[in-house]
Amino acid sequence: MTTFFVTWLATIPQLAVPYALAALGLILSERAGVLNLTAEGLMLVGALASVAVLLTFRPDPLVAMMAGMLAAAAVSVLFSFLVIVLRVNQVIAGLVIVFFCQGLTSLLGNLFGWTSKAFSGLGPVSLGVLADIPVIGPILFRQDVIVYLMIPIVFGVSYLLQRTRLGLRLRAVGESPEAADAMGVSVSMTRFLAVTAGSALVGLAGAYIAVANVKVWIDDMTSGRGWIAIALVIFARWNPWRAAAGALLFGSIQAVIPKLAAAGIVLPQYLLMTTPYLATLGVMIWVSIRHLNGPSDEPGALGQPYVREERR
Amino acid sequence: MTRRKKAVILTAAASIFAASLASVAEFKVEGAPKAAIILFGPKNDGGWSQAFEEARPALEKALGAKIPMVEKVSEDSASISPPVERFIQRGYNIIIGTAFGYSDTFKKLSESYPKIAFLNASGITNGPNLESFYGRTYQSQYLCGMAAAAASKTGKLGFVAANPLPVVNWTINAYELGARTINPDATLTVVFTGSWNDPVKERAAASALIDEGIDVIGQHVDTPTPQIVAQERGVYGTGHHRDLTEFAPKATQCSSVWTWAKFLAPEIEKIKAGSWEPAPYGAFPGIKEGGTDIACCGPAVSADNKKKIMAARQSIIDGNPVFTGPLKDRDGKERLAANVAITDPELWTMDWFVPGVISQK
Repeated sequence: MTTFFVTWLATIPQLAVPYALAALGLILSERAGVLNLTAEGLMLVGALASVAVLLTFRPDPLVAMMAGMLAAAAVSVLFSFLVIVLRVNQVIAGLVIVFFCQGLTSLLGNLFGWTSKAFSGLGPVSLGVLADIPVIGPILFRQDVIVYLMIPIVFGVSYLLQRTRLGLRLRAVGESPEAADAMGVSVSMTRFLAVTAGSALVGLAGAYIAVANVKVWIDDMTSGRGWIAIALVIFARWNPWRAAAGALLFGSIQAVIPKLAAAGIVLPQYLLMTTPYLATLGVMIWVSIRHLNGPSDEPGALGQPYVREERR
Repeated sequence: MTRRKKAVILTAAASIFAASLASVAEFKVEGAPKAAIILFGPKNDGGWSQAFEEARPALEKALGAKIPMVEKVSEDSASISPPVERFIQRGYNIIIGTAFGYSDTFKKLSESYPKIAFLNASGITNGPNLESFYGRTYQSQYLCGMAAAAASKTGKLGFVAANPLPVVNWTINAYELGARTINPDATLTVVFTGSWNDPVKERAAASALIDEGIDVIGQHVDTPTPQIVAQERGVYGTGHHRDLTEFAPKATQCSSVWTWAKFLAPEIEKIKAGSWEPAPYGAFPGIKEGGTDIACCGPAVSADNKKKIMAARQSIIDGNPVFTGPLKDRDGKERLAANVAITDPELWTMDWFVPGVISQK
């Protein structure tokens, strides 16, 4: 029984990290007022780019993952151009980018033969004696470096949004672009930076799935995790810490499903598979009821293109 | 024999003769036979679709002409019809599909184009010019189950599968039956991922099985991820679709592989000769007729056990069924009486597991 819990808890971080990173990236973009549905596509870009670099140049896995971040940020410039400069409907632009990325990554992966090629990828950090401590060793001290970096990343995003001048501008642009504009903040530039930085995090989420978790590239390997991240942002009500907690909840449910089956615990199969979605539904209802009479937390200008001097 | 009886027999014989004439005369492609393949996935997906791509050269030889193909045609009518109709307009008259989800569209197309021969892998629709086909994967997976038990030190085998559908359930059951011929105490713990193509879930499933002390991982999902995990963790595995030693050379001891060329080449020959008659309930080829076969065995299977596996393979080819009575399911209910072999309808509705299979309901 101890083994069951130890191995379960030890696998949670790997499954939670992609959700947390993608949700944080989306929060950055959405707090600046840009509704970002591109996550599923940009995660694939991040995943494929990191695998491509890893298989081609055999660098340190972390370098490959940075390449994934850069690639996703680069593709997001196209999205920014569509929604910030051309003011295309953000929902439609987001969906277009997802389909574009799905097609592009699958094409390139096949063309260059990167599909299904196993590599060693990012392994756990060696923490010497700490890793050998019974129970807590495997859970806490045998994770990879990105898992440990998650704490400063969540803290950093939260600090940036709440405690810095840049964060204040970003939120102002998302809540009331007219007011921000009147104060001399460049709405377009702030939104562009928020989307680009956020997309780099989304790209890292994809790169993490490919390089640290699965360690192979397969077409469409994110399997809808980008969409779950979008739902996660809503139920975290655009708060980084709540998003991280939500990611952990998802990670723990996803980790326990195969664990239960492998341990031979007989439960109804299909009911078990719906638990992540039931949990989402449950948390969303709970959060909504709690906030029924309070502020909605949703950025005021979310999804609205900004046109100076335009009447609303 | 009275006159009357004689007349009846004669009429019956005549009508059978006429019927057989009619069915032979009923279908013949117009002009020189030209075939095209509609692939569900990318041609180098490492699995299902690539198996067809690899069968293509042999089929081209059988046909005596190049066989073009389109990749990544998803399972909806709007994606399937345009490439098929383009091929037909360009004079192609044998269309080979490769997905369950093509079933309905192929049925409609076969009715609109009665002079075109349609074949569809893993489909469920048939007609005068449409034949669905699927391999008896339980035969090859039975043999891989033997290899798995031979490679295992613990007798605890694991299996990563997509969904508990009959085609998956018979694979699991056959795997366990095969394993028990080598090790009567072997157990098979199954994790269903709920998806054919989700490497994250497949890795989680394989890791969870290995954490429980399982040392051979079989699979019925579309990616080689379970084999890659097995290799990483230093245990063994068995593959599906194609020889997965390509992805996990140290881990993979046996693979159930599609041998479509062996089945489709004669079908094409028959169409060419004008003697093709689609099986009314679809074709269901085994190892003998070219559905599946095995790529076996890795070094963890002893020479002695390999001999046993090959003998079992020969016995299956000779017509001995994998599922035969007396056979009880894991809940103790009798499924096959003594000396009764399973029927195809029973296979296609299999929703039970043999003793030794540990899985969720």
